[in-house]
Amino acid sequence: MTLIKDGYFSQTELAQLPGMPSRERLHEGPCVVIECAQQIPCDPCEAACHEGAIEIGDSIINLPKLDPSKCGGCGLCIAACPGQCLFVVDMTYSDTEGTVQFPYEFLPYPQKGDTVHGLNRGGDIVCDAEVLKVLHPKKFDHTAVITVSVPKEYAMEVRTIKIKGNHHG
Amino acid sequence: MDKHPRTYEGKTEIKIEHPDMIICRCEEVTLAQIIEAISEGARTVDEVKRRTRAGMGLCQGRTCSRLVRHLLAQHTGQNFHQIPPMTARVPVRPIALEVLASLEDDTNG
Amino acid sequence: MNHVELAIIGAGPAGLSAAIEAASVGVQTIVFDENQQAGGQLFKQIHKFFGSRAHQAGARGIDIGKNLLGQVAASGAEIKLDTVVWGIFEGNKVGVVTNGRNVICKADRILLATGASENVLAFPGWTLPGVMGAGAIQTMVNVHRVLPGKRVLMIGSGNVGLIVSYQLLQAGAEVVALVEAMDRIGGYAVHASKIKRAGTPILIRHTIKEAVGNGKVEQATIVQLNDNGNVIEGTERTLDVDVICMACGLSPLAELAWLAGCRFTDVAPLGGLLPVHDDNMQTSLPGMYVAGDIAGIEEASTAIEEGRLAGIAIAESLGYLTTTDATVKKQAVNDRSEQLRDGPFGITRREAKETLIRRSLET
Ligand SMILES: Cc1cc2nc3c(=O)[nH]c(=O)nc-3n(C[C@H](O)[C@H](O)[C@H](O)COP(=O)(O)OP(=O)(O)OC[C@H]3O[C@@H](n4cnc5c(N)ncnc54)[C@H](O)[C@@H]3O)c2cc1C
Ligand code: SF4
Ligand code: SF4
Ligand code: FES
Repeated sequence: MTLIKDGYFSQTELAQLPGMPSRERLHEGPCVVIECAQQIPCDPCEAACHEGAIEIGDSIINLPKLDPSKCGGCGLCIAACPGQCLFVVDMTYSDTEGTVQFPYEFLPYPQKGDTVHGLNRGGDIVCDAEVLKVLHPKKFDHTAVITVSVPKEYAMEVRTIKIKGNHHG
Repeated sequence: MDKHPRTYEGKTEIKIEHPDMIICRCEEVTLAQIIEAISEGARTVDEVKRRTRAGMGLCQGRTCSRLVRHLLAQHTGQNFHQIPPMTARVPVRPIALEVLASLEDDTNG
Repeated sequence: MNHVELAIIGAGPAGLSAAIEAASVGVQTIVFDENQQAGGQLFKQIHKFFGSRAHQAGARGIDIGKNLLGQVAASGAEIKLDTVVWGIFEGNKVGVVTNGRNVICKADRILLATGASENVLAFPGWTLPGVMGAGAIQTMVNVHRVLPGKRVLMIGSGNVGLIVSYQLLQAGAEVVALVEAMDRIGGYAVHASKIKRAGTPILIRHTIKEAVGNGKVEQATIVQLNDNGNVIEGTERTLDVDVICMACGLSPLAELAWLAGCRFTDVAPLGGLLPVHDDNMQTSLPGMYVAGDIAGIEEASTAIEEGRLAGIAIAESLGYLTTTDATVKKQAVNDRSEQLRDGPFGITRREAKETLIRRSLET
């Protein structure tokens, strides 16, 4: 398992998660992608979603299970997750681009309209990304939620950004 | 990494890789000095301390005691987890002597 | 202060939680802490915590700490800061230095909630300035807002190493590499993923060989290990770093328990030698209790539950709670603890705790 050796998922590991929407679902409209793979005692994602799309169940060590039909991709759960492993992906943004919404806790925040580096789970720069939205209302408690657009083939790759010229994400 | 024999019984000269490496930073006791104490028969953290002063410094062994336990385990074959830390003594924190001496004890009576 | 019903040593999550439970039902309670601020480790922890709603999951450690302090104030317990407990003597007497005075305080019950100390690693150069413990770095970065350096080598991939790496990145430092001697990342993958995607290399089966520098750390040499944990010659790599952070685990800070004469046992998954305690958190000495990291290295969330358990048991033993009421309260605490000690990470700790409690019954 590469998650525990390298700190990021292999595609096979990802596909097995109960929080992973199908490829078909991803092409129907925005949906959360839950990259939570270890049974850690944790459950805020369940309460954060008012649509009931995320279920943990009786024991808080259960992996979060996604009901993709209930998720509208609003992104409200993202900042609630202490593991920062919730993302919203929209493959229908345009013919060639998709969007990724992700949590971000580095200052300064990027500005809407900025072109930034898109980084994959391993921290490699894979493409350019355009910042569409930067949200950090009080209730997100200092975790910003950023939306970027990226070429469609990278929407399931890009998980954070790096501001151009900065040395870290 | 373990190039030296595991037991020091009867041996006085042992080759170690970094003899000058500090083990107790408060009292500046080196690896060679600790190993020498062990080869001379020290088998507990207290015995090492008596011979080398390791653990007598400002932090009262909080930093080095665990390292000394590792060295004892490595070189005498004892189980690390069963080697007790040094005997705790009062005061457990460095306290000025005059403060200690000014003890107010109204609890007997 | 010459006599109290309950003296708690340590105002971390465990000590504060015990104070809340005990004082709120009437136990005359005083909490001593050598720091200037109450909260123990919590005030360094600016990240969001795991757990369930009952454990305030999703809240940041520092906010959980503030919440506890509010509850302590409401409970009527007194907190004495800047107060060192330097000894424990027969007859449940505690030696305390407070406001420059040295006082003996007799307590009907004593709770040791002193937390843990950090393990260090010895390598050539480890005493150079710039080689620091993770706790010290957390205090600098998160409490005093100063950066210890710009380029950091992190040693250890437990949650502490992962979280402190993330916090260093947030503060603007570069974590040049994180090395881990084991063949897997020790802490939670979600913490590892956060630093990985921000560009930090995580190198398992690697360790530090030496640090060099003129008067302070300037370079670190790291090296790869084989499956037996031995150095693979020729794999040395030298990194330009100005800080080396050691996050090599914690050990229970139990000197007061040794001094008092508590019986100890060795439970490796909880951090090594620990004072045994029963299912009320009472040690082998009647009237002396432990809770939190001193009773096994776990987490703030479990420290809070153990503190509560000890507080309830102490209140019961002093007659402030009926056995029936205490049993109900303890059950609620135990249910929450059980949730926390579950899953692949928690289950080992649950089994270890059961071992510890079983051993308290042996003589
Ligand atoms: C980097 C890091 C990240 C962590 N992240 C998490 C997390 O995400 N979730 C989680 O649940 N847990 C986390 N923890 C663990 C958590 O912080 C500890 O388990 C918890 O603080 C233990 O609580 P405690 O009350 O036992 O001890 P502490 O919080 O350590 O408090 C002990 C107190 O006792 C005082 N004291 C000790 N000796 C004396 C003496 N002789 N006289 C007077 N005062 C004394 C100390 O000053 C201290 O204030 C983390 C820990 C670290 C280091
Ligand atoms: S994105 Fe919105 S609808 Fe979907 S799981 Fe998160 S909170 Fe629920
Ligand atoms: S809140 Fe995040 S880390 Fe916690 S269970 Fe849900 S997805 Fe996993
Ligand atoms: S390092 Fe040995 S006494 Fe402090």
